[in-house]
Amino acid sequence: MPAGRSRATTTSSTSAGGHVEIVELTKSFGETLAVDGISISIEAGEFFSLLGPSGCGKTTTLRMVAGFEEPTSGAILLDGKDVARLAPNKRNVNTVFQSYALFPFLNVADNVAFGLKYQSLGRSEVSQRVGEALDLVQLAGYERRRPGQLSGGQQQRVALARALVLKPAVLLLDEPLGALDAKLRRALQVELKALQERVGVTFLYVTHDQEEALTMSDRLAVMSTGHIAQLGTPREVYEEPADAYVADFLGVSNLMEATVIRSGTDSSPCQLQIGEFHLEAECGVLSATGAVKLAIRPERVQLKPYDEPGQNRVPGMVERVVFLGSASQVIVRLAPGETLQSLVHNDGELVAFQQGSAVNVLLPPDALRVLPGGGASVAEIREETYGDQPDLAAVASPGAP
Amino acid sequence: MATVAVPPNKASSRRKGPWRHPWGLEAFTWIYLIWSIVPIGIAVLFSFNRGKSQSAFQGLSLRWYTGTSQAFGSVMHDPILHSAVVQTLKLGFFVTLITIPLGVGFAIGIDRWRGRTSNGLNLVMIFSFVVPELLLAVALMFVFLQLLKFVHLGTDAETAALIVWNISWPAIIVRARLVTIGKVYEEAAADLGASRFSAMWRVLLPLLIPAIFASAVLTFASVVDDFVLVEQLSGPGSQTMSVLIYSQAHGGNNGPALNALATLMLVFSLVVAGLGYVAYRFMTRGERGSTTEALTSIAGI
Repeated sequence: MPAGRSRATTTSSTSAGGHVEIVELTKSFGETLAVDGISISIEAGEFFSLLGPSGCGKTTTLRMVAGFEEPTSGAILLDGKDVARLAPNKRNVNTVFQSYALFPFLNVADNVAFGLKYQSLGRSEVSQRVGEALDLVQLAGYERRRPGQLSGGQQQRVALARALVLKPAVLLLDEPLGALDAKLRRALQVELKALQERVGVTFLYVTHDQEEALTMSDRLAVMSTGHIAQLGTPREVYEEPADAYVADFLGVSNLMEATVIRSGTDSSPCQLQIGEFHLEAECGVLSATGAVKLAIRPERVQLKPYDEPGQNRVPGMVERVVFLGSASQVIVRLAPGETLQSLVHNDGELVAFQQGSAVNVLLPPDALRVLPGGGASVAEIREETYGDQPDLAAVASPGAP
Repeated sequence: MATVAVPPNKASSRRKGPWRHPWGLEAFTWIYLIWSIVPIGIAVLFSFNRGKSQSAFQGLSLRWYTGTSQAFGSVMHDPILHSAVVQTLKLGFFVTLITIPLGVGFAIGIDRWRGRTSNGLNLVMIFSFVVPELLLAVALMFVFLQLLKFVHLGTDAETAALIVWNISWPAIIVRARLVTIGKVYEEAAADLGASRFSAMWRVLLPLLIPAIFASAVLTFASVVDDFVLVEQLSGPGSQTMSVLIYSQAHGGNNGPALNALATLMLVFSLVVAGLGYVAYRFMTRGERGSTTEALTSIAGI
């Protein structure tokens, strides 16, 4: 059980509940199917991410949970009660928008107090809650500023405070770090995760940034063209991608076409052929047959001298050596034509392989993963998506910048 | 340290090729401005003439504005001139007061509650830009004379016609603002617990205030300027400044008092537009690109 969830139950400020059950949820815009019957169960207090490229349906899903889009079919159970057809103001969920959507004519305190007006509270309680919320996001002292006088990161915190002050069962975050620069984004990732663990509210987080999703989530769903490609913990999704799409999207860019000669079992490896070379693989779908994709992470690809023979090796030629600081990235073209990246750790010595030199590429069987069906890569899916439907999220909310 | 000799920057007039100053264009612009502004300036100047002539200047005086002579009426004391000013301001005030809420509702309806009817109404919105004003004036005159007989020619008919004619200002300007601000603020309000009405009242309306104000300014200025509708639908004693200037300039001769009246019209329009610009800048301060938006909104582009 992830740490976030266990801690949630002990935090006093937590509002009860926050269990979200998405059942066979579907949304179509005219002819286009944006969300295609997805089902997700999110535990109370969990940090759950929807990850995918633009147009995969993640934002539409979030907007349906928030109540801005009416599902074509399916149910959204919030603590057992179907809210799919309730107006947004009747749901105990709050949203942090990508553009923050802070009201420009109100100062920070009034922005945070906006939603409290709909709960019958005394004036002193309102100001106390606003103060607490601003403390929580470390913005005490900024009460009288206007949103226009704040930096992007500060506006982001106000948006968080404005949503959290209402003590929602679920907080929905639509690419909340998307508009910030890389350094601030990384700092806020850590902070956001810590905040979520502190308040214990269920977070449903939408992002196209795999690093963000992997760092912060308890679990995540990788989405592709309206359905879920894989659902699991960050470690599961990263280390055991279900198919080539997930592997590619999570940055496992070494994908090779291969043909199964003899399927494997739990105890025997899968025998494959890539070009004229014979390989064994011990991970992934070992029972696959026919054309498959082979995945291997760059840090597991080993470069050996050309004249050193052995098992699971394919000859190749170094195309490029890129110095990355802590490591060097060596790009190798294999004899059958595939290009691989190898990450060579920088331990003070020069990389022995120069551009143009011949090498023997060792692909250890325990690092080679068989992925079924030669599925479409992210690039191909993206192309399809952009071809006829530029961005479903943009279609759904034409005003959003 | 080696220093590189940088040639001194020559004055702009010495620049060659595509960077040279466009003297021809500048001259043309100035000629155009002088050609269009000088006549107005002369007309304004003669409103301050001490004599009765509209061609020979005989020294400065305010007699055509505030003079009390019985023989030569001033704007303040000649009953006809005076009532024209009052009538113009009255029309401007009431038409603006009625047109703005109608137009704002129109804009919100078209933009936020999309349906089959809203597309048709979208066309109606640009109605007054398409239909010739004289045609509308004549048509409305027949409507008021034959069908809606309870609308009497004069202030009633003028007000009704000017509302129809000017409703495009708030409709188009407010709608442009609605498109610019998008739906995200209303969604945020709903998300925080606001009902549809509450979101409109607490979020949409404050965001629309600059556009509402800008369109009120334009509506008022447009009513002050209007001649065709008001002329066609005027009744006894409901002459506005423009109608009076037109009829007197052709028939009688009121001397520079007409210039004074026209100058007042000009001042009303300019002051209202200037106020509008300043207020718009003030209300949208802190928003990005508000200068250009203010200019284009006030100009009604």
